Amino acid sequence: MSIETRLAWRNLWRNPRRTALSVAATVFAVVLVMLSEGMGAGSHEKMIEDAVRLQSGHVAISGAGYRDHMTLDYFLPWSPELVEIADSVPSARAWAPRIISFALVSLADASRGVMVMGVDPEREPSVTTISKKVDAGHFLSAQRAPGVREIVLGERLAQDLGAQLGDEVLLYGAAYSLENAYELFTLTGIVDLPDPKIERNLALIHIEDAREFYVYDDRVTEIALLARDADHAPLLIAELEGALVPLAPDGGVFEVQGYEEMMPALVQFILLDDAGLYIMLVILVVVVGFGILNTILMAILERTRELGVVLALGLRPAALFRMVYLESMLLAAVGLGLGLAIALPALLYLNGMEFALTGDDLAATAEFVGMEPVLTFKLKPLNPLGSVLTILGVAALAALYPALKASRGRPVDALRSP
Amino acid sequence: MILQAVEVTKVYETRGVTTHALDGVSLQMDEGEFSAIAGPSGSGKTTLLNLLGALDTPTSGNVLLDGEELTTLDSAALAGLRLHKLGFVFQSYNLIPVLSACENVEFVMDLQGVEAGERKQRAREVLERVGLSGLEDKRPPEMSGGQQQRVAVARAIASRPRLVLADEPTANLDSDTAKRLLELMAELNQVEGITFLFSTHDPLVMEAAQRVVRLRDGRVVDDGAGNHG
Repeated sequence: MSIETRLAWRNLWRNPRRTALSVAATVFAVVLVMLSEGMGAGSHEKMIEDAVRLQSGHVAISGAGYRDHMTLDYFLPWSPELVEIADSVPSARAWAPRIISFALVSLADASRGVMVMGVDPEREPSVTTISKKVDAGHFLSAQRAPGVREIVLGERLAQDLGAQLGDEVLLYGAAYSLENAYELFTLTGIVDLPDPKIERNLALIHIEDAREFYVYDDRVTEIALLARDADHAPLLIAELEGALVPLAPDGGVFEVQGYEEMMPALVQFILLDDAGLYIMLVILVVVVGFGILNTILMAILERTRELGVVLALGLRPAALFRMVYLESMLLAAVGLGLGLAIALPALLYLNGMEFALTGDDLAATAEFVGMEPVLTFKLKPLNPLGSVLTILGVAALAALYPALKASRGRPVDALRSP
Repeated sequence: MILQAVEVTKVYETRGVTTHALDGVSLQMDEGEFSAIAGPSGSGKTTLLNLLGALDTPTSGNVLLDGEELTTLDSAALAGLRLHKLGFVFQSYNLIPVLSACENVEFVMDLQGVEAGERKQRAREVLERVGLSGLEDKRPPEMSGGQQQRVAVARAIASRPRLVLADEPTANLDSDTAKRLLELMAELNQVEGITFLFSTHDPLVMEAAQRVVRLRDGRVVDDGAGNHG
């Protein structure tokens, strides 16, 4: 260790209490920053995962224009080649075809406009968790019984209609051919979903029943795919876009969209939440910067005469700048090191754990954004790195002023100080 | 000639009050001298020593160290000059309290870029030379005033300067300790040929010096040139 480093390190501990307080502030900030980021990352990932697994999947292939119009006119031609692509893209974990449209569902005097999702009861559970949300009755049967058309409704929708399991409800809508479509369906299951808007709006039927109801022949409206995780969604989109080219060499037939495009409100919410989090973290880190500034500034003001002596002995101003700067950075590094030593194991321990939100307001907020009312933590490798670099960056800025002040003094003035 | 001051003046302006600390001081000093600048408080001793030691710049006039005009140098060049050509001993020792005696002595050599092994060996030799063997690892707060001033002398000479400037080096020492310190510096001057220049109003120092330059009100009243050698 050079004398400059030794000097900086020992100077740091000349006032142990002041240094310890500054280190404690840095440790506190590091732990808070990392836990907040971990909580943010965990919650957002859970939010995305819940939303994706509830309905959309990470990526969807649909007919060009479908997302803008959401009508049966914008279809996806169903073909073995399409199935082959969905089966073979490397970043896809699962996929399920769907026919989605709108209809009126009626029971006695009550009727509601609903989104009808025709799903494949065998494939759908591999993409969404909707089949696990059944809290009364059962999900759609994979094999259709002759003469029985099953329907599963959201719990609030069933309540609005006054429908009980076993009731026959009338589905009334417009077929692809624009002719009237109406059919009786038997209520076999009721799903309890975290998002009340979806729960009030959703009717699930077998995809083959949907095909018949809407007279949709060899068409589907979309194929929902699940990527290995949310971070792989862009890769999956690229793979699909590449694989679909041979099916539509001139383009314009298919549309491949990620969950971010399909659920812009969710992305906006996460961005807003992140912005709030980062504003708080910036304030915290700036406070740490001022703590370091104050500690080192006090230290050099107390040592003015000593700094004059080292300048008199021949230490160049630039070297004195480096020495004082090093002192600040060592102070920040000690705080960072200790902070990481606490925050990293804590985050590793908390990583993936779920804590139920018990307060009514918290649970209501979670429900508002369509996520389960639980708190989760996630340790992302870039987050600790970001925290370390941010705090080091702020420390590097805070260290400038004391170092400049120390190095700009004239030795003769410094030597005259008491 | 190692040091020359030519018509040096130093004027301070403090809250509208002008003080002429030095008024046209000229002085020459040869290698191997053991000299003192003496005078009552406020006569300009420390101001002159600061100017000669490249710690301050004159209002007018010039200072030449080893033939080099100090007024033409910037702060980094002045620092380099102090580092390689000058040694300093201060009134209140001014050791670095967080470094041991040995590290204090090594400090200047470290700045000079002397390699670690040689640095340590030279520091130990010089500390032995000033009678501080066995105290190498003590830090200044653990040492007496006399011991600290010996460390300061060791620090000043370890870097092998052309000239050691000592600002009232005995002012904080009792007379016995002051006498021993002066004997040590006189021996270093005679045996090793190190040039010393003191500022002082201590009769002991004036007695020990081969030449005494007397200042009064910022002017040289006797440059003692006749009685040194």
